Amino acid sequence: MKIDNRHVRNIGISAHIDAGKTTLTERVLFYTQRIHAIHDVKGKDGVGATMDFMELEKERGITIASAATYCRWKEHDINIIDTPGHVDFTIEVERSLRILDGAILVLCSVGGVQSQSITVNHQMNRYRIPCIAFINKCDRVGANPARVARQIKEKLGHHAVPLQLPIGLEAGFSGVVDLISMNALYFDGDKGESVRVEPIPESLREEAEKSRETLIDSVSLFSDELMEAALEERITEPMLMAAVRKATLARNIMPVLLGSAYKNKGVQPLLDAVTRFLPSPVDVTNTAVDVKRENTVVELKNDTGAPLVALAFKLEDGPYGQLTYIRVYQGTLSKGDTVQNVRTEKTLKIGRVVRMHADRMEDIEAIPAGYIGALFGVDCYSGDTFVKPGLGISMTSMHVPEPVISLALFPQGNKSQMNIAKALERFTKEDPTFKTHVDEESGETIISGMGELHLEIYVERMRREYQAEVTTGMPRVAYREAITQRADFDYTHKKQTGGSGQYGRVVGYMEPALGEDFAFESQVVGGAIPKPFLAACEKGFRNCLKKGPFMEYPVIGIKIVVQDGNTHPVDSSDVAFQAAARGAFMQAFHKARPMLMEPVMKVVVETPTEFQGGVMGSLNQRRGIIEGAQDEGLFSVIESRVPLSEMFGYSTVLRSLTQGKAQFTMEFSSYQPVPAAVAEALARKKTDPKGKSQ
Amino acid sequence: MNTPLPPFANPLTHLGYEETKLLKPRAFSAVCARPGVGKTAFLVQMALWAMSRKKNVLHVSLGDPIKKVDLWYQDLFSHIARRSALPDAAAAWPTFLPRRFIMTFRVEGFSVPKLEERLADLVEQQIFTPHVIVIDGIESDSALHAFTAELQNLARKFLLPVWISVRIQEYPSTQEGHPPSTPLPESNASFESIVCIEGAADRIHVRGIKGGTPQALGTTLSLDPATLLLTTEKAS
Repeated sequence: MKIDNRHVRNIGISAHIDAGKTTLTERVLFYTQRIHAIHDVKGKDGVGATMDFMELEKERGITIASAATYCRWKEHDINIIDTPGHVDFTIEVERSLRILDGAILVLCSVGGVQSQSITVNHQMNRYRIPCIAFINKCDRVGANPARVARQIKEKLGHHAVPLQLPIGLEAGFSGVVDLISMNALYFDGDKGESVRVEPIPESLREEAEKSRETLIDSVSLFSDELMEAALEERITEPMLMAAVRKATLARNIMPVLLGSAYKNKGVQPLLDAVTRFLPSPVDVTNTAVDVKRENTVVELKNDTGAPLVALAFKLEDGPYGQLTYIRVYQGTLSKGDTVQNVRTEKTLKIGRVVRMHADRMEDIEAIPAGYIGALFGVDCYSGDTFVKPGLGISMTSMHVPEPVISLALFPQGNKSQMNIAKALERFTKEDPTFKTHVDEESGETIISGMGELHLEIYVERMRREYQAEVTTGMPRVAYREAITQRADFDYTHKKQTGGSGQYGRVVGYMEPALGEDFAFESQVVGGAIPKPFLAACEKGFRNCLKKGPFMEYPVIGIKIVVQDGNTHPVDSSDVAFQAAARGAFMQAFHKARPMLMEPVMKVVVETPTEFQGGVMGSLNQRRGIIEGAQDEGLFSVIESRVPLSEMFGYSTVLRSLTQGKAQFTMEFSSYQPVPAAVAEALARKKTDPKGKSQ
Repeated sequence: MNTPLPPFANPLTHLGYEETKLLKPRAFSAVCARPGVGKTAFLVQMALWAMSRKKNVLHVSLGDPIKKVDLWYQDLFSHIARRSALPDAAAAWPTFLPRRFIMTFRVEGFSVPKLEERLADLVEQQIFTPHVIVIDGIESDSALHAFTAELQNLARKFLLPVWISVRIQEYPSTQEGHPPSTPLPESNASFESIVCIEGAADRIHVRGIKGGTPQALGTTLSLDPATLLLTTEKAS
């Protein structure tokens, strides 16, 4: 059965700080009757709180809105999804963005396109999300929407197509001219709730006609039908709207609308544009991987009758326990259904199913394909896929990279310690790349993740969401040890003094194994070492990998080949062969010329072209190998590989180098040998007790 | 990481192009072919050979992203390593990487002054000092002609050999006993060496047009359709 979910929109609202995202969201909820009063965000009561929130958002780019809010506009169901603002490439950001089908990019008509707008735009580009732009604050002194539309072209590289003209600007801003219907729209009533449609004022008619022609010229580039109609001068409103929609969905154009959310102007036409031009789930092709067929990519069917595939994209702690936000991509998720979590392979029964509103939740019976809802009482991690039992389809790849950086946490007081424990439990559920453990030697709580910013965000959230007072130690890089050449071993473990004896002999060699952490091979013939003892040997060798003999870091990239050995009829045992393996490992490891390996990150910097030289210099200074520079017109993309240990504090350096206009992403690439001089410095630090905390 | 670079053989020896000629500073060379015949594969092989001779190569691509260019290198490196029976190709590859820098431009955004500015930046900041430049993706002889003089200046200024791939629509006519006519009539005089890749998908051969030794006249190389590697073949 095919469900008609063409009237559903799953959108995000993204904005530069102070562009008016909060005010706009508030107005959207008011006009869609989700809230019944408009709160002034800079009201007397809220000044401090609002500013705190904004300050934090500015610093870290985290939004604290509900993960998904549902509202309804002119027969359309709209889910507004929280979009994280931080640029670090983490699984969490990826998940939030893949939920979106479309987005509104809010820009300030005075400030224009600023660095964070560029960042947000890059995220949208990366995930190919169709956008419409809303130029807000047209009532402000210095408002110049035409300049901002030009900046969208020049700085963001989008084909910006204005769909409206302002009627007056700054204090005289009173409404907009709709260039599709060729009407003037005014917003009457205390809260601008009633839209009055009038003919275009005579003073604007000529400009409006010119602008409409420009609009048709721009859009007809992407629609043959409109081009023909334009030549024959028979363009209709639905035809123009269809062409704008088609070009927007293909990301050929970015429609631009105007208004002032604070002055309650232009919000309703924006909601109309969301329903008219942004994609519904039907317009988007979603794919998943079939874990039973070596992660083959499969296309999901937008069909409520098909087997269920749903993604848990956000977890929230509420007063009634864990609330799991979920998007259903295929099939229907109903109350009482039995579903399977693909990661754990456990089946579970769905209890309460709800839909989130701005300030309350509503119980519903089912979430059909294309819709977003939330579940109560489901024990899962963020990013888990729920399917019909036995289906084996996952929305996310099952590979979770190992963390490459860690920090020690120092809680201030018992209360903070308890809060941190709660926070860590939740964060590890939300993000599989975020891990935590207690260091056996120091007793410190260690958190590990994929980058400095990744960990900073979680520490900040502990402080903000869990009121945990916490300080952190210096970041530590996850070094590894590896061997560079083959070395033989012949080791006999013999203990025959008192009690039951132990005997085991292993002969063989170790060699580097590129691309593998550990490989074990037996070439033993004639039963010199019986099979059960070979398993003990493997276990013994594996145990040695946890703490390498060179500098006590874990060992990677090693292959052990056992060729021969000896047993004793009475004294040989599992324990004896494990001990023999340990002895053999120690014997050969130093002969195999061990070296220290460090995580090397793939660092991609997107920078305005004028800063390209400086950015490359900064990467070069950090022992980076620059693989290439891609000239994208206004922007350049620099791809490089840089040791993680050199990347601490890079976001600050990059900001000051590029006036905050560049951004970078960083992901683990591979382990590479540490240069001798750096390895020596590390060894010195290790032996120096003061260096222990480093 | 002290693995020495494994030396690869000069792919154009059989066409009469000596190493000293191909890697001579300011040498200006071109490879011409119709679209989809193997210009990029050819240039990448020339680049890999130069890298194996301890030369740093700046690969300028017009149109292709860095990742795609990198895949060409990885692919052809593994084929050459297999053919050269390189004992540990996986360990050798990282030794090649620091010798390569990929710079990509949109076709419409490319200009020689822009390339020169970027190149000067790399050299001044000691990020990368190229010994050879390869430029892949020039649309036609007439497009090339527009900036031949600027490119020659660039080669002179930085004392570098430059290899260029040019897309052509028609192959030059060949007459027995005569050297083939040039596929680059507008820019022919500017080049010391010109090589042409001809043929269809099942049989592609490479012919020297200009700059090879007279003894090698009439000799061709094949481009293996499976691996796109240059292989020796005497013309009938």
